[in-house]
Amino acid sequence: MRRSMIFCLVATLAATGCGVGAEPAAAPSAGGKVTLTFLVFETPNLDAKFWDAAIARASAKVPGVTIKKLVTPNVDRTGYAKQLDASGNLPDILQSVNPAGFAQAGKLAAFTGEELKNFIAPTAGAVDGKIYQLPYNTQVIPVIYYNKDAFAKAGITATPKTYKELLDVSAKLKAKGVTPFVVGGGGADTWADMYPLTGTIATDVYSKTPDWLTRRAAGSVAFKDADFTKAAQKVADLAEQGYIDPAGLSRSYADSEQAFRDAKGAMYPMGSWFATSADNTKPPFEIGAFPWPSDDGAPVTPTFTGGGTSVSAKAADVDLAKKWALAFDEDKENNDAFVKADGSIPAIKGYVPPSDMGPVYNATVAIYQQGMKDGSIVNAFSQETGDGSLPPGLADKAALAVQDLITGKKSAAEFSAYLDDQWTKATQ
Amino acid sequence: MTDIEHRVRARAATPPPRGGARAAGRGRPSRRARLGPKLGRLALFVLPGLLAYVLFVLIPIVMTAYYGFTNRNPFNPPTRWVGLRNYTELATDPEFLQSLGNTLVITVIVTLLANAGGLLIAMLLDRATALYLTLRGMFFTPVVLSSVVISVIWQAVLRDDGLLNSALRGLGVERPPGWLSDPGIALYSIAWIITWQMLGFCVVVYLAALQGVPRELQEAAAIDGCGPMARFRNVTWPMIAPALTINTVMLLITGFKAYDQIQVITNGGPGTGTTATMAFHVVQTAFNGNHVGYSSAMAMVMLLLVASVSVAVLRTLQRREVTR
Repeated sequence: MRRSMIFCLVATLAATGCGVGAEPAAAPSAGGKVTLTFLVFETPNLDAKFWDAAIARASAKVPGVTIKKLVTPNVDRTGYAKQLDASGNLPDILQSVNPAGFAQAGKLAAFTGEELKNFIAPTAGAVDGKIYQLPYNTQVIPVIYYNKDAFAKAGITATPKTYKELLDVSAKLKAKGVTPFVVGGGGADTWADMYPLTGTIATDVYSKTPDWLTRRAAGSVAFKDADFTKAAQKVADLAEQGYIDPAGLSRSYADSEQAFRDAKGAMYPMGSWFATSADNTKPPFEIGAFPWPSDDGAPVTPTFTGGGTSVSAKAADVDLAKKWALAFDEDKENNDAFVKADGSIPAIKGYVPPSDMGPVYNATVAIYQQGMKDGSIVNAFSQETGDGSLPPGLADKAALAVQDLITGKKSAAEFSAYLDDQWTKATQ
Repeated sequence: MTDIEHRVRARAATPPPRGGARAAGRGRPSRRARLGPKLGRLALFVLPGLLAYVLFVLIPIVMTAYYGFTNRNPFNPPTRWVGLRNYTELATDPEFLQSLGNTLVITVIVTLLANAGGLLIAMLLDRATALYLTLRGMFFTPVVLSSVVISVIWQAVLRDDGLLNSALRGLGVERPPGWLSDPGIALYSIAWIITWQMLGFCVVVYLAALQGVPRELQEAAAIDGCGPMARFRNVTWPMIAPALTINTVMLLITGFKAYDQIQVITNGGPGTGTTATMAFHVVQTAFNGNHVGYSSAMAMVMLLLVASVSVAVLRTLQRREVTR
């Protein structure tokens, strides 16, 4: 019997051992070759075919690397990376995973200045002066995309340059029976409701204090301060005046995009990634784009630069993994594909987008280039990475609290107080 | 009486040998000795399951219990022992208390509605024609579907410009309710979806119980002058008590651990914590906020709550079960 028991134990341990981390996620092999895991996420625009082709192009440039693709179960790649990390299986290379927390905990490898020489903003998203995620692209967040037909029918001849003009435009649209803003946020896509607030914080807070979140971390400012509360109040007012329909809060990101295409609202504050989607799947009306306006009309262009690949500090071969990550993010064809599929604005020196890009993408890039020219670039609230960013989990809390602002469940003051409270909890 | 029954009765009637088991053991090999060679082979079958249970259930529970007494945050080491601090904070944490309240609301609604609806439908379907057999299969379908699939379907139905509101608008309702976007309604929508999903399970369990009620009892009650209501109250209802026990405990557990539907349909919203259940809050706190220690304490509270309520309800309901 004892022999049977021992056999049984050994057999079971052997069997279970195969599935419980007995084999490392990536193992170096002989002859300088290595297999690396690469965590990607799929969307309708960035599908499996896209990733496979992009991976093949980068692998062709870095001999000796074999990539094993891992796909997140949904677009929340940061959340999934945390789950993998919790089980000791952080992938070797990660695509567009927010490095906050991972970097501070020493889980990611830093890129050197030399490695970042081809990037336009080599210090974007720095953590203690070091870069853990390649700053390969810039996104303008938000851009207000608008339905030109709806504007024309409401007698609106020019896009608003000041916040008051934006309110006037909204009033005219509403008078014509058109909901001014399409705002989403349903299902797991709560983040999709953030963009009006990201706009008002850019114009009312970040334009005056570009390093506001760094100061918040130091305790010298608070969400309950007048500027931040005023920015929140603007969103609450838009909802209270019926310019944002709370009905949108049950729409997922894809549904809200479709709602705009279906003319269920005239303006769609969204990240610049919507541009190519708009060009690729054209609605029956023309789409224009303008930046979120400030009170006095001074230009403010909220952007996020980063979003590229990161490398695990425990990758089977960190140097080769970094080399592969750089090859992936700097590859012209890969960037062309990202531009065409996801409307990215590559932040790689000398990069020129394909000449056949559509009008909405070109209008979006024009807003960014104007921002660069004006010197009006600021951070996009809740999108930041690195030192001046929200503590882990707070962006999700903020997105949920924005729903309270829109439904009237929280006043602007309560919203601000809530964020202060959540900041304290998150940093305990 | 069959031969086997004879032998069983004869063995039961045989008095034990004097001197008890020890004396009995002298005459023939002890039970352990008789089973000895078999035990090894039986262990072959038991051990993999036991090991899997220990590895994937018991050890994680022990680890969670341990983490509940620490400040564990994988992104902010080192982990320190904090004693009962997590538990004392939970007692005054408005978000946790809200999630607890939401969980209780969902659990009560799901347990009551699915039980009542399941029994009603089972009584309607308690016939043996092909149509009723088909209907039984239809009612059971949601049980075998993934919660995520069900959530996606109901999201398409209940969102503000979804199927239900489009139909209501077609009927002339100008501003139909925001089933998922109104903070005052969304929790009840979630409870309804879980109820709908569990209804088929209750129907099947009640149907099985109804078909086990002896016909002669019904007939005797009818001869004694009982009408349909009295027959249900005095015969059917006591006889299907075990089904009520099974359904109630299963529904309680389902309600307490509600997570998938919230994750897919509302993400805990609309707004802060409106539909966040305990299970949802545990996952969010652990994997979004990185507060693994604190979320482990929540998970332990949840475990103790589910276990104690389930045991209490099970004991209470089992007391009213009748034996045939």
